[in-house]
Amino acid sequence: MSSILEVRGLTKKFGGLTAVNDVTFDVREKEILSVIGPNGAGKSTLFKLISSFLTPTEGEVRYKGERISGLAPHIAARKGVVRTFQETTIFRNMTVRDNIIVAHHLRSKASLAGFFLGTAVARADERAFGESADEILSFLNLSDLSGEKAKNLPHGHLRALGIGIGLATDPAVLLLDEPFAGMNHDETGKAVAMVRRLRERGLTVLLVEHDMPAVMKISDRIVVINFGQKIAEGTPAEIQANERVIEAYLGAEDESIGM
Amino acid sequence: MTDNRKLIGLAVFLLAVFVVVPWLIAVTGRKDFYYTLTSVALLSIASAGVWMTFYIGRINMGQGAFALMGAYVAAILITQYGVSFWWTIPLSGLFCVLASLVIGLPILRLRGVYFAMVSLVLTEVTRLLSLALPITGGAKGITNIPLPGAISLFGITLVPDFATLENPRIAFYYVAVTLMVLAFAAMYRLVNSRIGHICMSLQQNEELASSIGVNIVHLRLIAFGISSFLGGVSGSVFAVVTQSVYPSSFTVTDSVNFMLNCFLGGLAYVFGPMLGTLTLYFGWNLLFETGEFQLLIYSTAMIVLMLILPNGLLSLGENRRKG
Amino acid sequence: MEQVIANGLYLGTQYALIALGLTLIFGLMNVLNFAHGQMYVLGGFVTYTIYGQLGLPFPVAVLASGITLAVIGGLMERYLFRTVIRRSHREESTMLLAAATAFFFDAVILLIFGEKQRGVPKIVKGVFNHFGVILPYDRIVVAVIAGLMILAFILFMKYTRTGRAMRALAQDRVAAQLMGIKVDRYTMIGFALGAMLAGVVGGLLVSITGVNSGIGGPISVKAFLMIMIGGAGVAGGAIAGGFILGMMESVGLTVLREYGDVTYLVIFGALMVFLAIRPNGLMGKPWG
Repeated sequence: MSSILEVRGLTKKFGGLTAVNDVTFDVREKEILSVIGPNGAGKSTLFKLISSFLTPTEGEVRYKGERISGLAPHIAARKGVVRTFQETTIFRNMTVRDNIIVAHHLRSKASLAGFFLGTAVARADERAFGESADEILSFLNLSDLSGEKAKNLPHGHLRALGIGIGLATDPAVLLLDEPFAGMNHDETGKAVAMVRRLRERGLTVLLVEHDMPAVMKISDRIVVINFGQKIAEGTPAEIQANERVIEAYLGAEDESIGM
Repeated sequence: MTDNRKLIGLAVFLLAVFVVVPWLIAVTGRKDFYYTLTSVALLSIASAGVWMTFYIGRINMGQGAFALMGAYVAAILITQYGVSFWWTIPLSGLFCVLASLVIGLPILRLRGVYFAMVSLVLTEVTRLLSLALPITGGAKGITNIPLPGAISLFGITLVPDFATLENPRIAFYYVAVTLMVLAFAAMYRLVNSRIGHICMSLQQNEELASSIGVNIVHLRLIAFGISSFLGGVSGSVFAVVTQSVYPSSFTVTDSVNFMLNCFLGGLAYVFGPMLGTLTLYFGWNLLFETGEFQLLIYSTAMIVLMLILPNGLLSLGENRRKG
Repeated sequence: MEQVIANGLYLGTQYALIALGLTLIFGLMNVLNFAHGQMYVLGGFVTYTIYGQLGLPFPVAVLASGITLAVIGGLMERYLFRTVIRRSHREESTMLLAAATAFFFDAVILLIFGEKQRGVPKIVKGVFNHFGVILPYDRIVVAVIAGLMILAFILFMKYTRTGRAMRALAQDRVAAQLMGIKVDRYTMIGFALGAMLAGVVGGLLVSITGVNSGIGGPISVKAFLMIMIGGAGVAGGAIAGGFILGMMESVGLTVLREYGDVTYLVIFGALMVFLAIRPNGLMGKPWG
């Protein structure tokens, strides 16, 4: 299997603090790769670096051989690397369906002026977006809520909506920011199943997560970071047997690792 | 609302501004209303621009600057280069678009009160510049701007020379109202098209918008450009209607008023700025009779309105529909 | 040169005090108080009435200015801003309210005190003239009082219970609420305190520049400038912004005199360039 995303020597310094230090790994096409690590290990900085929301101090991220780090987020998205946010980041005052429709931005064939004038291309776009939005809503089991204002959605659905917004951009790689955070056992089970179905749609999924049991269940491979550095990489079984990982997670978190 | 009801609404509105209002003025003999309503129409165009910047989540208190720029561009083009008034309307608008791109690129990165305050400062900078630059004529401004000439196409006179008219104010009223109708029709179309939704996404969360591939820098400039275009158009016509422009023609107070017009009408409604301008301008003029108490009553009324309807006059309809 | 610095410092102390009040209100409730300049003018007229007209001692008059404005500020927060913040969909709505109250104060001031420029007898006579600096004693007294008040304000915010509660509130409203801080109460106290500062400066300065009903708006704009330079919502930023603006004004009036009235044009231009580079001012937190 070939690499779709290459993370090479990625480093980010904030003033004197090195949040991410020389991290290198590959993401293979159509795999589910999780980045885990204890609190404050630099996961969320790494996530923002890969999604181009931060510019690395050193190193780079390549997508299909092309450098994407240091570009504006909307350009990375245009190329096919799209992130989701944690749950409160949605278009709160739009309906659920409009959230998804507006996120089809990258699929527009018509120009902005075309939309203003209502050209044939623009109208075709609008129709296509509507149909695609309905498909995504039913994929996420949100069809019943499609007319609801997004801010009124219950918590579990907010995250699904966030993923739906990401899907609407038709990404090749979807980056999920803690998709299981704050979920109970049942909800996590459903969310895990949904992430699996994302892969079935042909997506490559990279997720940053806390919830060890879920990560062990879902991932093809896992990258573990601690103090900003990569300390292990491998299949869930390999990671569970890795001395350095166990050491890093000793103490309060060792039961949550699922051992 | 169905398409039919929208069409009827539009027809009623057009009938009202182009037929009923002139008829009422003729019947009552209140010819002074032409000037008042011309002002309302022009100011509401500038307010519509401010509304547009609100729509992408920026509090714009710089519209006075663009109105003043538009007024000076028109005045200078007409008096010094002999350009026809009709050409100066789009030219003033375009000048303001260019200016807004240069100014907007750095300052649109600012958000919230920072943008609000910088745009307020922009209004003051423009006033001070118009006092200091040689071409704008200092504090004396530019006066004696001639009335608009005729528009002819293939030898047929479509619009007569305003100087030959018995009452050019009526003609100005039609010009201003036509521009207002065009401006608001365009705004309505914009907001209800996909561009409007994308602007809305910007208003709600810029990070999320950029994650779905929206070029937020680009879009902010477009919105600010549209806003400034409307400001410039409004200012240019104003200069010709009053046949003069001074550094004090549009000041910080006007910038604040444009913003208030939007608030008062309601930030969630495209036609909010129009209703807000009409209400504020007429309210102010009606209170003229109260003499020294004018400002007191006006501001008290505004505070009370704010307490009762903090989401604008047009939110009244919404509450009723919900209730 | 010495003269320019002395003038700058004199202006800076009063500006810093004005900016502190504005930034306190902004920090606590995200409200840009358009009426700040009008509050200053009101304070000026209270002192003018009590000291200039009734002949009571100057300190009593300034104290009365402070108390009057504190009461007005508290009432404004309680009955106007709190209601609008609770009921409005967008927090910018408070700007309309603030602008309307500014108009309201303008109207009230005009009705009660008229349009004329008002002055009061000097509080101290004589002129300081040493080391190449010429400065009337009354300016020195006012600057010293203002400086002491800045110090008192900093100490108050740092060491008293109320001050600490307000700082917690400014940092994170929700967290402060969870910690058991009475949010409503301290917001009201903060607004009152901010208004009081404006009133006191107005009262102090009436003894030097006098007061007239038209200067409220320009004072507000200057106060906005200061908190933009320093960074909105941060006390240190307001003080820095006040002194920087005072200095720039003082330097500008000397250096640019021959070019006519362009000092503010230059200051505005510099500010826009500065903000393009540092959008949050010198020490402001990222906003929005």
